[in-house]
Amino acid sequence: MGSSSNKPELLKNGKRLDGRDFNELRELKIEAGILKNADGSAYLEWGNNKVLAAVYGPKEAVPKHFADPTKAVIKCRYAMAPFSSLEDHGRTGPNRRAIEISKVAKEAFENVIILNDYPGAQIDIFMEILQSDGGTRAAGITAAAVALANAGIHMRDLIYSVSVGRIGEHMAIDVNKIEDNYSDADMPVAISPRNNELLLLQMDGGLTKKQYEESMVMILEAGKKIHEVQRKALEDYYSINKKNTEQE
Amino acid sequence: MKKIAIPGDEISSIPKRVNGTYIDKGKTYASTITMVDSDTGHLLPLEGAWSPRLNDTVVGVVTMVKNHVYEVDLSHFGRGLIIEGKFDKLSLSVGDIVDARVRDIEDRKTVILENPRKLYGGILVSIKPAKVPRVIGKENTMVKTISSITGSRLAVGYNGTIWISGGDQSAALIAIEVIENEAHTSGLTERVRIMLEKIVKPEFKELQKQREKNERDNKTDWE
Repeated sequence: MGSSSNKPELLKNGKRLDGRDFNELRELKIEAGILKNADGSAYLEWGNNKVLAAVYGPKEAVPKHFADPTKAVIKCRYAMAPFSSLEDHGRTGPNRRAIEISKVAKEAFENVIILNDYPGAQIDIFMEILQSDGGTRAAGITAAAVALANAGIHMRDLIYSVSVGRIGEHMAIDVNKIEDNYSDADMPVAISPRNNELLLLQMDGGLTKKQYEESMVMILEAGKKIHEVQRKALEDYYSINKKNTEQE
Repeated sequence: MKKIAIPGDEISSIPKRVNGTYIDKGKTYASTITMVDSDTGHLLPLEGAWSPRLNDTVVGVVTMVKNHVYEVDLSHFGRGLIIEGKFDKLSLSVGDIVDARVRDIEDRKTVILENPRKLYGGILVSIKPAKVPRVIGKENTMVKTISSITGSRLAVGYNGTIWISGGDQSAALIAIEVIENEAHTSGLTERVRIMLEKIVKPEFKELQKQREKNERDNKTDWE
């Protein structure tokens, strides 16, 4: 969080710094199945965020005492590349922030993966942030959901995640790095679109009840667009293979 | 009309217990990426691990020999155990390729196998287990097509391992690759047949004709 004394102006002529409306998402592109060695993978570009997600499994849980004979164990790794940010992110490897995000992402996925289908197994989810510009945990979860579907893991739903921020009195969806650092509040959310179940909710700063309700309406509206991009990524992956056939 | 369903898509408004779906509040939803045929209601999961069923055929490599127990590596799945019976005499050694049937399921990563058959020579290919039913085809039509045109012998394991021996192996390999990539498309057997007839080398076609002729000659009347 930036200090409030040298806070930059976040609104210009009633619009956000990058010219977006308050309910406008950055450009979102997802490509599924790009890593051959992984069981499932996805590459996501969301504004300036670039995320690579890979899924391995279900495989035998290691170490053995980790295995649960009734359900699968999920291991989740969120990591920022040392070159991902404008500021130096130092050495690679898990730090306090990465461990926290890995944990909340794991708990979001534990609620949608049908764990009882894989007793004694382990599912590894990797989210590598190659370039970051605010809202990377949302981008990571959105990409990892596509990778999980690509791996054929049984899931109840294809989840998406997006963050929302408060700039003065306005709620703004999909905040970028400057807005994320200097806004009055920001709130990443992960949602299961089938029944709009809330799987992740974190909040930095304060929101009134009215502002929270306003932002949830915004998120559900934007979520339809994100879910559509995820669906298209998966449909494209399977129809590309179809196209090759027609050429032959 | 064929359509791709992603996890969470509603498949049916009544509860149905089908592979690749789950039931919630009386409705059926997809749990994996699935090809849905809206005319017939048939579902074809496009991804997913193999969950062993009795009498499934598997192909693997012997990795360990103990007293009367042989361990077989089943690549994507895990391991299989062949337990020598009282009157069996198996002479398997480490590195042998075997095909066998699933007799019993021990746990998530272990199955008990029976009727092992040693396979000599040849090459092994590994594909996604979800695509194996397509390589086999309806009533083995796909395997028969490949082996009849290329003159190769094939053993297809549900664990995703395929053994190819003799004939035009490279053509058979290309055919399997095509099937794996396009498992969800229709009319695949016919396309593979056309493709194979183009690429199979002529000497193997001669070989195949010869073999078919021999088979015809050997056929007895009561068959």
